[in-house]
Amino acid sequence: MYIYGWLIFITPIVGAFLSFALGRHDRRLAGPIASLAIGLSLVFSILAFFRVQSSGPIDNSYNWFFNINAGIYIDHLALVMVLMVSFVSLMIHIFAMYYMGEDPNRHIYFAETALFTSGMLGLVVSSNLVLFFLFWELVGLCSYLLVGFWFFKPNATSAAKKAFIVTRVGDLLFLIGMAILYFSLMGYPGLTSGVSPLDIPFLINHAQSIASYVGPNTLGAVAVLFLGAAAGKSAQFPLHVWIPDAMEGPTTVSALIHAATMVTAGVYLVARVFPIFYYSAPFALYSVVAVGAFTAFFAGIIGIVVNDIKRILAYSTISQIGYMMAAIGLGSVIGYSGVSYGMFHLVVHADFKALLFMCAGAILIALMDLRDTREMGGLWRRMPITVTLLLIGSLALVAFPGTAGYFSKDSIIAASWIYFEKSGSPYAIIPWILLAGGSLLTALYTFRMFFRVALGKPRSYLAEKAHDPKPVVLIPLMILGAGALFLGLIQPYFYRYVYSQAVVPSIPLYIEAIPITLMAIGIIVTYFIYGTERYKKIDISKNLGYRIVKNKFYLDRLFTNVIAERFIAAFSGATASFEASYNRGVEGVGDGTLNLGAFFRKLQNGVIENYFIFLIIGISVIFIIIEILGVL
Amino acid sequence: MSSIDLGIGSTATFIHLIPEIFLGLLGFAILWTGVRNIGERAISWITFSGLGIAALLVFFLDPSSGSAYSGVMVFNNFGKYFAIIMLISSMFICYPFSTKNYSKSEIFYSTLLFLNVGMVVAAFSYNLIALFIAFESVSIGTYVLSSFGKTRRNLEASIKYFFTGTIATAFILFGASFYYLGTGTFSISSSALSHVINSPEITIALAFLIIGFGFKLALFPFHQWALDTYDGTENSVSAFLAAGSKILAFMVILKVFLSGFAFDHTAVFYLFVILSIITMTYGNISALSQSNLKRILSYSSIAQAGYLVLVLAVVAGSGSPTSTVSEFAIAAGMFYSLVYIFMKGGAFITMNAVPKDNVELEDVSGLGKRSPATAVSLSVIMLALAGIPLTGGFLAKYYLFLALIEGSLWWLAVIAILNSAISVFYYFRVITYMFARDPKEGDGAVPFSAKAPVVAAAIITIALFFIGIIASFMPTLISAAGGIFG
Repeated sequence: MYIYGWLIFITPIVGAFLSFALGRHDRRLAGPIASLAIGLSLVFSILAFFRVQSSGPIDNSYNWFFNINAGIYIDHLALVMVLMVSFVSLMIHIFAMYYMGEDPNRHIYFAETALFTSGMLGLVVSSNLVLFFLFWELVGLCSYLLVGFWFFKPNATSAAKKAFIVTRVGDLLFLIGMAILYFSLMGYPGLTSGVSPLDIPFLINHAQSIASYVGPNTLGAVAVLFLGAAAGKSAQFPLHVWIPDAMEGPTTVSALIHAATMVTAGVYLVARVFPIFYYSAPFALYSVVAVGAFTAFFAGIIGIVVNDIKRILAYSTISQIGYMMAAIGLGSVIGYSGVSYGMFHLVVHADFKALLFMCAGAILIALMDLRDTREMGGLWRRMPITVTLLLIGSLALVAFPGTAGYFSKDSIIAASWIYFEKSGSPYAIIPWILLAGGSLLTALYTFRMFFRVALGKPRSYLAEKAHDPKPVVLIPLMILGAGALFLGLIQPYFYRYVYSQAVVPSIPLYIEAIPITLMAIGIIVTYFIYGTERYKKIDISKNLGYRIVKNKFYLDRLFTNVIAERFIAAFSGATASFEASYNRGVEGVGDGTLNLGAFFRKLQNGVIENYFIFLIIGISVIFIIIEILGVL
Repeated sequence: MSSIDLGIGSTATFIHLIPEIFLGLLGFAILWTGVRNIGERAISWITFSGLGIAALLVFFLDPSSGSAYSGVMVFNNFGKYFAIIMLISSMFICYPFSTKNYSKSEIFYSTLLFLNVGMVVAAFSYNLIALFIAFESVSIGTYVLSSFGKTRRNLEASIKYFFTGTIATAFILFGASFYYLGTGTFSISSSALSHVINSPEITIALAFLIIGFGFKLALFPFHQWALDTYDGTENSVSAFLAAGSKILAFMVILKVFLSGFAFDHTAVFYLFVILSIITMTYGNISALSQSNLKRILSYSSIAQAGYLVLVLAVVAGSGSPTSTVSEFAIAAGMFYSLVYIFMKGGAFITMNAVPKDNVELEDVSGLGKRSPATAVSLSVIMLALAGIPLTGGFLAKYYLFLALIEGSLWWLAVIAILNSAISVFYYFRVITYMFARDPKEGDGAVPFSAKAPVVAAAIITIALFFIGIIASFMPTLISAAGGIFG
């Protein structure tokens, strides 16, 4: 039965509507219904897993319109995503029942998060890029709604708008890419009936011949456009600016966005159509690795100077997604293993990032939504369970040996070394430098946050009064914490599961040791500065470099003040006057039409004698027309 | 099943008439319940399920046996498709709702069943006399149905409908006799016509039949009864008049003109084009300045009839009813009919949820707060009528306009699309009233008794989405469209 495949994303949709409809009457019902729906889709994902295990990928699609199909395609790659998304989303939903507490609109919240999850699940299993795009948009819409969930906060609404508009740039690129692909494949000879040129199975199984038919450069352009789409959704440079602001939503929403349902969509897109990247001109995968590695390093730098706990985590997400992108981009040399590495880091990252965000959520509840790490401190003693979980998440994030993060991230850094060795170009060392350097930065910003939160004396009244929530609400966090510690054990199986030819990279030990050493240095340095009160003596606010980083390299200002206000506003001012006169014209037409309607209405006066007169005239006219047409 | 010789040349079996016989017997059974004291609720349930069973019986009818009774009836997939659609649209009218209370409800429901016999016969008959009788039995049934209700408005509506309907009958009969004069037969199977082309009698027959059937389809200038009748009758009866009865007329017109006049239609091409353009433009523009919701829907259904006639224009323009373009156009019309009964039927049914006889736009303001389910259903139906993607209405319009473009009538497609654009205004106005305005003073939540139609509307809403998503049966329709020629 293929039905599980469909139910994976249909149950959360139904759950979304139910939790809204029933939650309207009893707010307590909303959370359990949404969680139940997500739990069911986890069950269906597991059923699909066994199905795929026994009889290969599920591919089941119908003609939708023209030659666009709608359907599901679940192979190993989709399965790991589906399992991860439904599992992590379930954990977040369960925790959200505590986190959203007595919020009066929580039925809306749960309906939206369930819809959000279903959008992501639908995206993962869709068999056609058009359907993929529809779910992609649904995810974007839900993120807009959820980031602006606390709509009474002006920051939240503007952040929601920003998220929506910036990702929209990526969506546009996606559409253009799809259009180019579609039209260049229209005459493709292998396109048998019932196969749409945008079918994912078709694209990935025939990528090589497609490349020779379309031409590697055209296909490369399509691939780069898809990369642009992925950069918008996955917050890669330069479209990453929306994600730190998106922290204005509820923390569980941030957890969803960062772990399960939103930013991973872009990585998944690139992984999904990886064969297209692989067989197109080399610049496609070069740009993937360039964007990924650069973002990994760049976002890490900004992360070091941010003080808001959630924003630190946001920059860490950008940076970690960069690692995933880079891993896939390395595929030009290491082949499909790159996808395996990227996907494993994606899954592991989803686990510990959800954990970190929910720990942050628990801390924020205890601290009345005080998000500045400078005013925390000493929380380890006051919230031992939460902060221990935060430590586990942080260790996984910095890839501390033994944690899951180590297995996933160090393979990527190791793979980038292999990339350098095999490609032979001296420039190929750059990704390795950026990625290995990134592990120093990761250690710096993570433990800067952690030490400020956990150690020292409380630096505010709220921090003094903080205490752990009831342990029972922390159970999802503990499950995720166990994952963050032990998920690394499945590493070789996972690699082979996604692509059978993938292997764990092996490189010389002294190279292997470099990122670990950097990470250790990072932790020790941050301990000396932030684990004690020493950092208060350092004042770098006058430093030029600090100011540049603090202002996020002025990218926000470039986008809003220069591009939006100078160029777009000026241009729209010019068009506005044209539009005003155009509007008057349109209104005139509209008024005229309305008046005509009013006149017609008078013809319909309800007197049947008049109708007959009208009829006789009408019938005569018909005969005259027939006469004129020369039939008689 | 035993077969008997009717003495008219061919061996006929009754097996094909089982749906009609079933409906007829059920009609008599319901009449009989009038002498017993059986509640209206039960009767409506029986009728509802009886119609469903009849639809299933039609569905399992074997279309391969071809013509029966000397070609009077031809059992093909085209007829099956329309018979099922019309039975479904009759199911709307007797949806077991709890608010209505007709005196003599057994007459209401048995009339409904009897007229459904006529509809099923009309779907399969390929003979002008049989077609006329079937068509007329439906008409008479609808005159009766539209008079049901408690107010004088119902009677007025029914009388207006009746007077204009008789004129239509006269035209149909007159046209049929000219048809006989020209061809020497009443059969409208295309094979009967091959030797007579474009004689004056045939042209007169064509004009008269267009006028006669155009009445039921409410084409401009024969539309005026439709407004008063849809407006004046009960919502569920309006739903049937606007959906089932109109689709019947559309089916008959398709059959008569494509099969009965299966010659080169290019000469009357402009007649269809003019009728279609005027009808849709008139319907859409008049609806703009209406404030009565039921009238808006009535005007919109006039406009929809204009869209349906576009199918005839494509076929006439393509030169041959058997060309690929024509078959695609007919299939598009068939698909449109399916979506149309859900859209129009759903729109009128949903208004039952507003506890008022004559629903003004003001009455639905704030409906989003008072009864969200109704408001959402009505919105989806409005979106479908306006042809917004993801609904069945979008696909229906898409195929129709695609047929126009394939028939190289892009200019007509532009006019049709402009018309759709105009129509968006009044459909969306309804939605804004429901969601962007506050309820009128004194309009509380919708009472529970009105929730039954909401369920029906919700089902229709889901059906609209479903049709919009699963459209893979278009090739099936195209092959069924080939069977129209008897």
